[in-house]
Amino acid sequence: MKRFVYINEDNLAHDLYCDNRISNRKYTIWNFLPKNLWEQFSRFMNQYFLLIACLQLWSLITPVNPASTWGPLIFIFAVSATKEAWDDYNRYLSDKKANEKEVWIVKQGTKKLIQAQDIRVGNLVWLRENDEVPCDLVLLGAADPQGICYVETAALDGETDLKTRLIPPACVGIDFELLHKIKGVIECPSPDKDIRRFDANMRLFPPFLDNDVCPLTIKNTLLQSCYLRNTEWACGVAVYTGNETKLGMSRGIPEPKLTAVDAMIDKLTGAIFVFQIVVVIVLGIAGNVWKDTEARKLWYVRYPKEGPWYELLVIPLRFELLCSIMIPISIKVSLDLVKSLYAKFIDWDDQMVDLETGIRSHAANTAISEDLGQVEYILTDKTGTLTENKMIFKRCFVSGTFYGNENGDALTDAELLSAVSSGSTDVIRFLKVMAICNTVIPVQSKNGSISYKAQSQDEEALVRAAARLHMVFVNKNGNFVDIKFNASTIQYEVLDILEFTSDRKRMSIVVKDSQSGKIILLSKGADEAILPHAYTGQQVRTYAEAVEQYAQLGLRTLCLAWRELEDEEYQEWAVMFKEANSSLVDREWRVAEVCQRLEHDFEIIGVAAIEDRLQDGVPETIETLRKAGLNFWMLTGDKQNTAIQIALSCNFVSPEPKGQLLMINGKTEDEVCRNLERVLLTMRITSSEPKDVAFVIDGWALEIALKHYRKAFTELAILSRTAICCRVTPSQKAQLVELLKSCDYRTLAIGDGGNDVRMIQQADIGVGISGREGLQAARAADYSIGKFRFLKRLILVHGRYSYNRTAFLSQYSFYKSLLICFIQIFFSFISGVSGTSLFNSVSLMAYNVFYTSVPVLVSVLDKDLSERTVMQHPQILFYCQAGRLLNPSTFAGWFGRSLFHAIVVFVITIHSYAFEKSEMEEVSMVALSGCIWLQAFVVALETNSFTILQHLAIWGNLVGFYVINWIVSALPSSGMYTIMFRLCRQPSYWITMILIVAGGMGPVLALKYFRYTYRSSKINILQQAERLGGPILSLGNIEPQSRSLEKDLSPLSISLPKNRNPVYEPLLSDSPNSTRRSFGPGVPFDFFQSQSRLSSSYSRNCKDN
Amino acid sequence: MEMEGGSSSTSIGIQNDTVSLRQRRSKFMHQFTQQNLPACKPVLTPPWVISMFFVFGVIFIPIGLLCLHASQSVVEIVYRYDAECVPEPLRSNKLAYIKDSSIPKNCTKHFKIQKHMTAPIYIYYQLDNYYQNHRRYVKSRSDQQLLHGLKYDGISTCSPEDVNNGHPVVPCGLIAWSLFNDTYTFFRGIDELRVNRKNIAWQSDRDHKFGKEVYPFNFQNGTLIGGANLDPNIPLSDQEDLIVWMRTAALPTFRKLYGRIEENLDADDVISVNLLNNYNTYSFSGSKTLVLSTSSWLGGRNNFLGMAYVAIGTSFIFIASIFLLLHVKNSRSYGDTTNLSWNWK
Repeated sequence: MKRFVYINEDNLAHDLYCDNRISNRKYTIWNFLPKNLWEQFSRFMNQYFLLIACLQLWSLITPVNPASTWGPLIFIFAVSATKEAWDDYNRYLSDKKANEKEVWIVKQGTKKLIQAQDIRVGNLVWLRENDEVPCDLVLLGAADPQGICYVETAALDGETDLKTRLIPPACVGIDFELLHKIKGVIECPSPDKDIRRFDANMRLFPPFLDNDVCPLTIKNTLLQSCYLRNTEWACGVAVYTGNETKLGMSRGIPEPKLTAVDAMIDKLTGAIFVFQIVVVIVLGIAGNVWKDTEARKLWYVRYPKEGPWYELLVIPLRFELLCSIMIPISIKVSLDLVKSLYAKFIDWDDQMVDLETGIRSHAANTAISEDLGQVEYILTDKTGTLTENKMIFKRCFVSGTFYGNENGDALTDAELLSAVSSGSTDVIRFLKVMAICNTVIPVQSKNGSISYKAQSQDEEALVRAAARLHMVFVNKNGNFVDIKFNASTIQYEVLDILEFTSDRKRMSIVVKDSQSGKIILLSKGADEAILPHAYTGQQVRTYAEAVEQYAQLGLRTLCLAWRELEDEEYQEWAVMFKEANSSLVDREWRVAEVCQRLEHDFEIIGVAAIEDRLQDGVPETIETLRKAGLNFWMLTGDKQNTAIQIALSCNFVSPEPKGQLLMINGKTEDEVCRNLERVLLTMRITSSEPKDVAFVIDGWALEIALKHYRKAFTELAILSRTAICCRVTPSQKAQLVELLKSCDYRTLAIGDGGNDVRMIQQADIGVGISGREGLQAARAADYSIGKFRFLKRLILVHGRYSYNRTAFLSQYSFYKSLLICFIQIFFSFISGVSGTSLFNSVSLMAYNVFYTSVPVLVSVLDKDLSERTVMQHPQILFYCQAGRLLNPSTFAGWFGRSLFHAIVVFVITIHSYAFEKSEMEEVSMVALSGCIWLQAFVVALETNSFTILQHLAIWGNLVGFYVINWIVSALPSSGMYTIMFRLCRQPSYWITMILIVAGGMGPVLALKYFRYTYRSSKINILQQAERLGGPILSLGNIEPQSRSLEKDLSPLSISLPKNRNPVYEPLLSDSPNSTRRSFGPGVPFDFFQSQSRLSSSYSRNCKDN
Repeated sequence: MEMEGGSSSTSIGIQNDTVSLRQRRSKFMHQFTQQNLPACKPVLTPPWVISMFFVFGVIFIPIGLLCLHASQSVVEIVYRYDAECVPEPLRSNKLAYIKDSSIPKNCTKHFKIQKHMTAPIYIYYQLDNYYQNHRRYVKSRSDQQLLHGLKYDGISTCSPEDVNNGHPVVPCGLIAWSLFNDTYTFFRGIDELRVNRKNIAWQSDRDHKFGKEVYPFNFQNGTLIGGANLDPNIPLSDQEDLIVWMRTAALPTFRKLYGRIEENLDADDVISVNLLNNYNTYSFSGSKTLVLSTSSWLGGRNNFLGMAYVAIGTSFIFIASIFLLLHVKNSRSYGDTTNLSWNWK
């Protein structure tokens, strides 16, 4: 399918394609009620309750007043419908804001301001600097004469660097005024969601050039939600609009998330439902049999000889209604209530406030807190999530001197400052390379201050640092760059730029000093790309050592070099370079080869060290969470080496010899397959050893692996606790989440950029960091936090408590419903299996709504272990992860307990209230108060920490029970008039209550005590230890010691993450489609070589220790 | 002046109080939001649990003995008459006997008082295997009609005993229809013992549940006669037998108060009871029993509570001693985290 877009043709194609209205709404005003009701009733539980409520309208079978089911049912529905409506209204508001933004378009040859929603396919859209692109455009014109403009695509793919976009060659040079009248046709594919591809053709109509077809690529487009930067204006033709843009197509409606706990509760509900059906069938048959054999003899019951056709059904249906409370209708309401409280606790938490920005953590999705406690896999983005995404020049090594070692910041190092002011040649040259050798664009604002726009954050860091050291990169005018050193301005002419590629790992620039006419080659790059090319005779050992030292501190290093070129040499080379640059075949490889001819005999000037600081507490957080049994996967769009370096520095991978990295690379199926098998083999061998094996895979290989070797890759995913995936696209991130989810793992995705949005939405839990890349991730996420380190608290404290509390609350809800239901069943055995309800309607309704739901709601304050203990023993999270607190077997325990308690209450009641006391209302109230007493003590026994609120709720509820019943007993019209007063006056009533409590709780307490003391779980042991109050000794206490040792070792490093990784880092961004030609096909990049270096550095470090 | 100063100081005091109250409240809110409320964490330590079981065991046994004593102090005479009162030749077909209204249903029984009985002595009739709690039966009544009489006509719940010959029945429903109709007269020697049959129903029922202006109407007028008939000239609130009967029993074995003997009966007194055996329990093999019983603070004779208390008390002491034994023998390190291993596999 193709679409043809006629440029600037107002009356064409209007009805063919949608307008630019964005809509994320789920409902309209008209379909809200039916659609919402339909959705709610698609839940099994709701269907069930509706059925029960309908059955209750039939007075022949209803044991109680129908209001007892209808009331809560309508309430529940109203609450969820209101919530949905509110959410949808908010979506509508944000859509409206985007839709009504004003943009300039061309209509009938004149510029007009219209609302963004009115843009049609074929319209010419004009954008100014910093405008957001309203729909997908094909560029036609830009302010730059060469037709270059810059866009920020962070919202789309999360990459913050500026991308260049080009005007299609056919349009280059068209005059500003003429653009209004441009006509033509673009042939493009139907809308899709691939943000890397746009294969289209354009043909301009005369008088604009010829009829030649001009090919278009993604480089010629401006996609919706990108921002125009560093470009005064740009204009393009709308090709995709509204929800058909690349962004709109990839924006899926996030599915409502269901937590593992919810799923388990549903499962248990199903089991209870089956149990209920069995009970109903058995009792129904028994009832009918008893009716025919016994009840017909009871003359006072007067069963008619011939019943209606449905007679056989009446008794089973009565039992169905009697047993319907087995599935507590209140469970959904109470769960929703406590879940929103969990979310509030996250919002309120003062320890999760980012002090720098004052951003609080926020739980946008209030329904999934328990899942936080059950996470097994954490998939994390790198830049901005683990790191601060702020590159800062920290140290340098110039001509034998280390700068910045004393105070950790070269910019304030007095020695360096004095060297600069005294004009030391080496230092000046060093600064010049820093200032010139880059592709940064300086932008002078009106007040004279200079800001820098750079594609690479590292370059920006270097230029900024140079500026701080008085070597200011002032202006770039065409090929001339102006540098201001102290007061004097130096001008250079840029002759050639030898661009960075990931294979060359260096970039160079050839400049001509405008004054002296000298031609100089300035280079910077990774040490292995620079140091070997030093001129013979220069001692590179000191530089290598400097690099080593910086790498150990976790800094990214760059070697700076320079060489003066002879005129002839340059001229000769320049010809070759031009030739290579214009070659059509293998251009990149040829260019690299030519570059190599120039880049030799360097004079090494120095080493610059740049820090992309890890966020505070990242290594500790990861270490703690890994100890808690969480598996970390790092998914990054970044380069492999950077990814590995960060992974090492933040405890992703255990240090040698425990840790091992396995690489999966390759461009072809064969390579990937071979690599995959090799890695799998190693994994299988080492999986039995306590070894920490991680695999590293890049986007290419991942794509092949996911496509062709999904099974093997899945096995690998299961085996490996850690993985590093680099160069992955947003959709691959989402695919990986999907893969892990398909293996039944609970996944948490954390990221900060727009490129993480899909992964965040895909994962069971999405966490967004409200960081420098904007708020997209945070907005799409279920939880937004200010810093990565809060994840620890989010999972270990909030997640764990939430899980524990929900586990208790849900099982308790079933317990109390089953308890009263069992009593009803027992009672039916002594009431002729006729389906009489022992309890009256008021009691039954109030039992679920008041008597039993209040005390359990305060279990949201319960803490089994203090936060400190949990942090010290993160392993305890395993109980939540593995669902040890809510599963069929724990549920069986609660089931048994309710059966036991029902027997206790029933037997004691009917024996102590026998003979002359066996009045129905009295017996009913005795049994009911027995249940209330028991449940109060059950809650008390299961509560680990009593705050004043818990005491109030548990014992206050007990008092409340009596108050309510006294009030009801005071109403002459009520069925239980005077009953409660009568009972409370009888000593035998109170003696019976004490007996019920003792008989019910004694065995439970004994069993609990026995298990607590002699079969104690780890939680119990820690509780006991907490009780003893002594210092809780564990690994947690040893840790800080080792860290302090390390501080002693390197007093120079302040607040630097521990890292001794000498993987040298090419710092510049490389193009994603660069090929690894230099390594040759079939030879995977071998990490083991650097691994050995890694280990050597480790062992040395150990010796130092 | 003095007064003024005093009043101002108190107002300041109040202000301070409110300020500190507000502070306290905000502190409480802060602790609440941070989930940091001061909490006590009871832990099941061996001494605590063992002593708890022991103490409760020790308390329960005397309570149980007390209850047993109270129950034993009740003197009870139980006489099942449903079989005995059928004349010998008719015993093979009791149903025919009870349904035949021509046969006199009189029956007399003598029994000797074993133990001194102090007034008031309660007279109960006990029915066994009688399902007053059967759903069809319990529901077959109209509380509104009992209170308002013919003014209330929503009596469909009373089916199948709601309307007779086109007129509503008051009191309607199966419960009223099946009213118990055996009667008893007691003699000590030859003197009739006065049986007080007033105030056998609950005061609250007479006052608020059964209408003072409601008279029986069209009652027991159908083809099928259930139990007793009612005097249509006495309002329902005074029909105490009916009121007692309509307090349905939750259990298939139950006793209902018939009356009170308000004089002491001495040991070796011979009591004869003259009863009219009208009520049909033969069709469903239920039994009828006459009970004379005194009362204690705990109610009638019922050993269950006492026995249960003693049993639970002893088992608590037993549990306590087992736990004590376990604790002494197996003094494992309590709350020892040093050996905590995190090997989950």
